Amino acid sequence: MKMRDWTFLLIIVSIIIIVSNFVGYDVAMMESIPGVLILAAITLIGYGASKVIPLKMPMILYVSLIGLIVACPISPVSDFVIEQTGKISFMAPVTAVGAFAGIAMGKDLKAFKEQSWKMVLIGIVVFTGTFFGSAIVAQIVLKLTNAI
Amino acid sequence: MPIKSYRGIGDRFQSEYKIYLAVLVIVIIAELIGTKEFSIGPGAMIFFPMFYGLILGVLLVPQITGFFKIKEVKAASTLVLVAITPFMAKLGVMAGGNLPKLVEVGPALVLQEFGNLGTILIALPLAILLGLKREAIGATHSICRESNLGLVTHVYGPDSPETRGTLSIYVIGYIIGVIYFGFLASAAASMKIFHPLALAMASGAGSGSMMAASTGVLANIYPDMAEDILVLGAASDMLTGVTGLYVGLFIALPLATKLYEFLEPRMRKISLKSASTVPNAEEESKHENA
Repeated sequence: MKMRDWTFLLIIVSIIIIVSNFVGYDVAMMESIPGVLILAAITLIGYGASKVIPLKMPMILYVSLIGLIVACPISPVSDFVIEQTGKISFMAPVTAVGAFAGIAMGKDLKAFKEQSWKMVLIGIVVFTGTFFGSAIVAQIVLKLTNAI
Repeated sequence: MPIKSYRGIGDRFQSEYKIYLAVLVIVIIAELIGTKEFSIGPGAMIFFPMFYGLILGVLLVPQITGFFKIKEVKAASTLVLVAITPFMAKLGVMAGGNLPKLVEVGPALVLQEFGNLGTILIALPLAILLGLKREAIGATHSICRESNLGLVTHVYGPDSPETRGTLSIYVIGYIIGVIYFGFLASAAASMKIFHPLALAMASGAGSGSMMAASTGVLANIYPDMAEDILVLGAASDMLTGVTGLYVGLFIALPLATKLYEFLEPRMRKISLKSASTVPNAEEESKHENA
C-alpha cells in the first residue's frame, strides 16, 4: 500500500476510534481528536521511516520506536503526547480491529472451525508455559539476588 | 496484498465503503453493550467490546449471512492491518512514558520476561503434533495479546497462517484466559515451591485483565503481601508492554520459526493430518462457493 492509501485509511480508522471512544468511554468527540491525530501521525512517520531506512525491518518496529521516542522523558513534546493520547482509551482502537478481523475471518472460517479444539488445547499450554516459565526464572533470580 | 490494486482512493472508497460503515455500526453496538463480567466460581469471565465486534463481523461473512462478498472479506484483511497500527503507536507512547520506571525495577523483573519464551519449547511441538502448519508459529510465540497480534499481522501479513494462529489464541485468551490465569495462580500457590513475589511477576504477561485475575487470587492467598503482589504484577505487565514487541520481533518469532522449520518435517509422520494444510487450494474452492 502506498502512503496515500495509508493516509486515507487512517482517517477512516481515526473516525471509528473517535466514535468508539465516545460511545464506550464517554470521551467527547472533540476531546479525542488531538489524540487520534497524534497516533495517526506516528503511524505515518513509521510508514515513511520503513520506506526510507534501508533495513529489512517491519514498519511496526518504527511505529513503536517513534511512539516511544516522542513520549520518553527527554522528548520536548512528551507531556502533550502522553496527555492527549491518554484520552484515547486503551481498548477503544481494539474494538474496530475486532470488527475488521471478524469480517476478514470469513476467508478462513473453515480453518478456524477445524482448528478450534486444537487451538483451545494449545492456548492452555501456551498460557501455562508462559506463567510457569516466568515464575521459574523469577524464583531463581530472586533467590540468586537474595531478594527472598 | 493478494487483492487487486485500486486505481485510486476513489476506487478504494467505492469498493470498501460498505465495510467502513458496517464496522462503524458494529463498533457502536459493541461499545453500547460494553465490558461485561460474569463470575464463575472463584474466577470471572470478562467480555470486551472487541469480542462482540469480532462476532458481529463474522456474522456478515459470505458463509453465514452473506452480507459481504468474498472480495470484501479479502479487503478487510488489509484494514485489520491499518486499524491495529494506531493501537501499536499508543503502546509505543505508553512504553516511552514508562521508560523511567524500567530503571527502577530489579533484575528479576526484567529477566523473568524471558521466561515467557519457554512456552515456545513446549507448545510449538504440541501444535505441530496436532497437525497445525505455520499457524503454530503465530499461536505459540507468545500469549498472543493485542500487541502480539499487531506484530504478527505486520510481520507475516494479515492473510498469513501465522496471523490466523495468533488470532485464534487471542480469541481463546479472551474466552478462557482471565479465568485460567486465576486458576494458574491458585494452582501454583498450592504447590508451595514458588515465592509469592515470583508468582506475582509471572502474572504480568501482557494482558491487564489476566494479570488482575491472577494477582487478585494471589493477594487473597497471601494477604500480608497483597500490596507487593499487586504492585509487582502491574509492573511486570507494564514491562511486557514495553519489551514485548522487541522480544517478539527479535527473539520469540525467529525462535518459533526456526524451531518450526526444524521440527515440522521431522514430526510429519507422527502428526495428525489436517485438512487445512493446503490453504491456497482451499481458498480457491471457497472462491467458487462465493
